[in-house]
Amino acid sequence: MRRNSLAGTGLSRLVIACLLVCLISAAARPGSAAEQIEELLIGIEPEHNIFDQMEQYRSLAAYLSDELGVEVKFTIMSRYGEVIKRFKALKLDGAFLTSYTATMGIKELKLEPVASPVNLSGESTSQGYIFVRKDSGIRDVKGMLGKSIVFVDPATMEGYLFPLAYLSRHGITEIGKFFNRVSYSGSHASTIFAVLDGRADIGAAKNTVFDKLVHNDPSIHEELTLIAQSPKVPEITLCLRSETDRNLREKLSAVLLDMDKNSDGKAALKQFKAIRFVKSDKTDFAKVEEMVQEAQAAIADPRTN
Amino acid sequence: MLTFLFSVLFVLAAAPDSHAEKRIGVIMTGDVPYYGAIHEAFVAELNSRFAGGEKIEIILQRPFPNALSWSNAARKLIAFDVDLIVAYGSPAAQAVIHEKSSIPLVYAGLYEPEQAEVSGKNVTGCGFKIPLSSIVRYFKRLKTISTLGIVFSGVEEDSVRQGKTMKELAEQQNIKTLEIDIRSRADLEKLKAQKTDAIFMTGGSLTHLWLDDILSILRKEKIPAADIFPDDSESGVLMTLYQPVHSQGQMAAEMASKILLGEKPENIAPHTYRDTELVFNLIAARHLGIVFPIPLLIEATRVVQ
Repeated sequence: MRRNSLAGTGLSRLVIACLLVCLISAAARPGSAAEQIEELLIGIEPEHNIFDQMEQYRSLAAYLSDELGVEVKFTIMSRYGEVIKRFKALKLDGAFLTSYTATMGIKELKLEPVASPVNLSGESTSQGYIFVRKDSGIRDVKGMLGKSIVFVDPATMEGYLFPLAYLSRHGITEIGKFFNRVSYSGSHASTIFAVLDGRADIGAAKNTVFDKLVHNDPSIHEELTLIAQSPKVPEITLCLRSETDRNLREKLSAVLLDMDKNSDGKAALKQFKAIRFVKSDKTDFAKVEEMVQEAQAAIADPRTN
Repeated sequence: MLTFLFSVLFVLAAAPDSHAEKRIGVIMTGDVPYYGAIHEAFVAELNSRFAGGEKIEIILQRPFPNALSWSNAARKLIAFDVDLIVAYGSPAAQAVIHEKSSIPLVYAGLYEPEQAEVSGKNVTGCGFKIPLSSIVRYFKRLKTISTLGIVFSGVEEDSVRQGKTMKELAEQQNIKTLEIDIRSRADLEKLKAQKTDAIFMTGGSLTHLWLDDILSILRKEKIPAADIFPDDSESGVLMTLYQPVHSQGQMAAEMASKILLGEKPENIAPHTYRDTELVFNLIAARHLGIVFPIPLLIEATRVVQ
């Protein structure tokens, strides 16, 4: 019994020693896990031309990979409306998100906003425009009754959420009943062209796209008139999963915010069509959240979709 | 004198149905599919409104597009003492107004009716407007346009007006214009000698009577054409931006029935349709050696392929 007991004690010691080793290893895991991250997969919301878009992000991926010592890969996340679904399905570490999807991502996936690019016009924000043809005779919400409206996509702030919030503020929540036709163009530019052509009476789209088209063709400004403008919110924001290693997140944020301070970073920014990145946090999306609240009744109406 | 004799002969030959309770005289500016489609929608709507009720007789005039024929057609209907005259196109409507008859007039198929001098106590109707600037924009997205040919009919007021508008719009975009006036078949020869990068077809009857001949010449010269009348037979117009005509026919019938039931035309507000459809013909594009970029192709309401 005693021998047995002694033998048992020895075995117990061995087991305890093994457990201690395991515990120590486990305690050290967070730090070493960060070092072991080999790849960061970042999603991108699709825009008008995804080939141009991937080209735009290519140099940013290379720069971030070099600076972080982690391979940064970008992937297009299918359609606008499936961004949150795709984020989960693709097991992404983060994504460059437009304001509405970022707000949804922060709320539903607990994403952390990191940084927003400043575009070549010096703006990191965008706003929604509601517009009509000048010769349409439409001057306000009252004049929109029985007309046709074209949205961009149900996942855009500028091309969907804002017009719904604006209409709700004016007492219009039954969109399908108020307008004689509701359609979705799939892109901000297409929405603008649809109104220019007369294929729709009213459109809602992003100011940056609108202003760029006007810059390239000033006659557009002569033909369209703005009915309403939304508040400015971050146009695109890099958001990361909250589970992302804190050191890596801070390093990534620092690399992005300092990109404009070195020549390699500047070159990558040029290709990315930005002049720098600015810090972003959850408070930047409060205005979008307010619009979500305002538009809730209209969004819930099945005839809107 | 000869005209008078012909009119008398016509009146005797085409004696109206004495059993009809109401008679409507209809004049098309030209026997082209565009006005034919409006008339078809007009008759269908009128029949549904008077089904089982009063017997309506329709006397249709399809004169060759020239001032004398429009005037004769108007006089014949006045001689028939119809209850109402319906005119498709600006020249036919203006010919009726010129006769200063007390017979009510409903017009349809008029381009920008507010610009067409068709107002009067006994006059109402509906028309359409196409943003011609969109045609210039789409041409520019397809190919370099230095010179734009404008095919119009100098005897048709609305065709001349569209030509002038297009000339102004093109010149604002630094595009030279070449006006090609088609008044007879012999004028088609002018198309062979011209050097233009693209052709804009105004909504003239004469130009559409010989549309197939015009397109045949343009195809040989590899010149793309755009039109504001629908190319329902898909005869080879590269792009068409048009207002769907059935709505004008239906509204004209609605106005006509109100007048026949005792409403005064002055109490019925005229209407201008501004909704459009955009059609790209990829078969025509292939013959012309033109490749539509995908971002442009997605703007189309319909693609012919």
